[in-house]
Amino acid sequence: MPIIPEGTRYVLPPEWERRESLRQSLQEHFATWGYQPIQTPALEFYDPLHPLAERAFKLIDRDGEVLALRSEYTTALGRLIRSDLSAGQLPLRLSYAGQLWLRDQISELGRMREFSQVGVELIGPSSPLADAELLEMAAGALERAGVRFQLELGHPGFVHAVLRSTGLPEAALADLHRAVDGKAQPELAALLDRWSVSGCKRADVLRLTDLYGGAEILPEARALCSTDEASSALDWLQETIGLLGPSDLLLDLGMSRRYGYYTGLTFRAHTPDLGLPLLGGGRYDAGIPGAGFAIGLERLLGALGEPPVSPGAEVLAADLASARWARSQGHRAELAHCPPAQLIDEARRRGARWLAQAGQLVPVRA
Amino acid sequence: MSGPPLTIALPKGRVFEESVALLARAGLPLALPSSSRALRHQQGELALLELRNTDVPIYVDLGVADLGVVGKDILLESGREVYEPLDLGFARCRIALIRPRGAEGPVARVATKYPRFTRSYLEAKGMTAEVIYLSGNIELAAVTGLADAVVDIVQTGETLRANDLCEVEVIAPSSARLIVARASLKLKRQAIRPLIHRLAQLTAATAAAELGVLGYPMDPGRS
Repeated sequence: MPIIPEGTRYVLPPEWERRESLRQSLQEHFATWGYQPIQTPALEFYDPLHPLAERAFKLIDRDGEVLALRSEYTTALGRLIRSDLSAGQLPLRLSYAGQLWLRDQISELGRMREFSQVGVELIGPSSPLADAELLEMAAGALERAGVRFQLELGHPGFVHAVLRSTGLPEAALADLHRAVDGKAQPELAALLDRWSVSGCKRADVLRLTDLYGGAEILPEARALCSTDEASSALDWLQETIGLLGPSDLLLDLGMSRRYGYYTGLTFRAHTPDLGLPLLGGGRYDAGIPGAGFAIGLERLLGALGEPPVSPGAEVLAADLASARWARSQGHRAELAHCPPAQLIDEARRRGARWLAQAGQLVPVRA
Repeated sequence: MSGPPLTIALPKGRVFEESVALLARAGLPLALPSSSRALRHQQGELALLELRNTDVPIYVDLGVADLGVVGKDILLESGREVYEPLDLGFARCRIALIRPRGAEGPVARVATKYPRFTRSYLEAKGMTAEVIYLSGNIELAAVTGLADAVVDIVQTGETLRANDLCEVEVIAPSSARLIVARASLKLKRQAIRPLIHRLAQLTAATAAAELGVLGYPMDPGRS
């Protein structure tokens, strides 16, 4: 038997220290925007309608009820908002940080079965301004973390509008969405053949896989499809981008991942330092409007590279009284567990720069 | 052309050679590396990785390679989230359900090197057969009776004829695909987007025409 289950890992110093300080720094950043941290239970009731129901770990409770380990925060916060926070004044601004579990994940670089996210939800307003708030905050968070990144915006509603303009039944659109999201031209062409979509409708759908880049692709997208649904999606995007001001935002108007879940603008952050997105989020106005994003903490750490070497003990204290004194002076002091004659050797071995003894600090030469 | 550094994952063998030739025609400053023990061939800003075909989607999905060339059969099995913008038109074959000629008994066991794909095919057909994973000479499983049928690729059909086997159903066509890492397509689009366009022009004539979908057009002859 392996020592720990596949897709889990021990986090050792100095990584844990760095990770905790990153988490804290991100949540502090969110707090400066008025987002209050909360926590939800890691044990949830299994709900077949949960968007990740199939992929979650399940447990049997003592009364036979099926439980699931938390697999994402958004749904959990949705429940909180409809229960204990239902009388809360909108807009609600919440931030969270914690572990999540996915049973089916292939365990590898950036896709562990146990992983951590730090994120926010903005509940109440549904407008380009609300999305701009989240985007600005997301960019600020990644800047604060010190990682190289570029934000990318999309709108599954636009893809849906273009696909709907073919007149095909909703049931046929799921396969098309998947092909568009994967930029799979050959599959898309074959699906359109199968459904006998031809002419400019066909050309429009095929164009979706090439609609990515900077803001220059918006006019191209406008030329594609002029239904109200498509135009209002593009208007929303354009207004949001306008609110953010000049930036190097990327657009991908063929992005339609989880289109049935997100109802509005979606976004993610790419980094040249890791193959997987650092951050993902979007708008899901089902019932109470809400939008948010989550940063993958392990991915962020992966993109930042090796943690700095952890410093050794700063001070080695000869006895309890010296330890008390050194700590009161603001030093990090480790208590010595060795005979007095070996104190200097012990200090060198522990990497301490000072020895605290009888109320004073004695420098330790290497 | 000088652009950002690009890492390209290619399966070793014939597809490697054909891919290098095609990418060079599309304007990448690439030449077939002289045969050596090197696994990574650096040519200016471009690095070629010579991999086992099943590993190509992994390198691209995780962004270790920016792009790659691999058969659709391998992609269907891998289930990896990579962009698949182009059918490059070569290495054409088909994934088929194969049985000994005249076999009419029930299909209880299917041998394959595409277990994931085969399971979803069987599920879509409403069949409960057991899937046996094998790594080579899959047809032998049907010849020896290890399995009642095999799911494997067929190129010319000669192996089948030589072993008295026949294709009961063509499950999906396959050919070499260009795949691109999700982040690379965006962050290195100045280099990759025009490359996709040039490759599309080069392969336009052969692509599209004979491609089917992940459909199951014929009855597999269940009894």
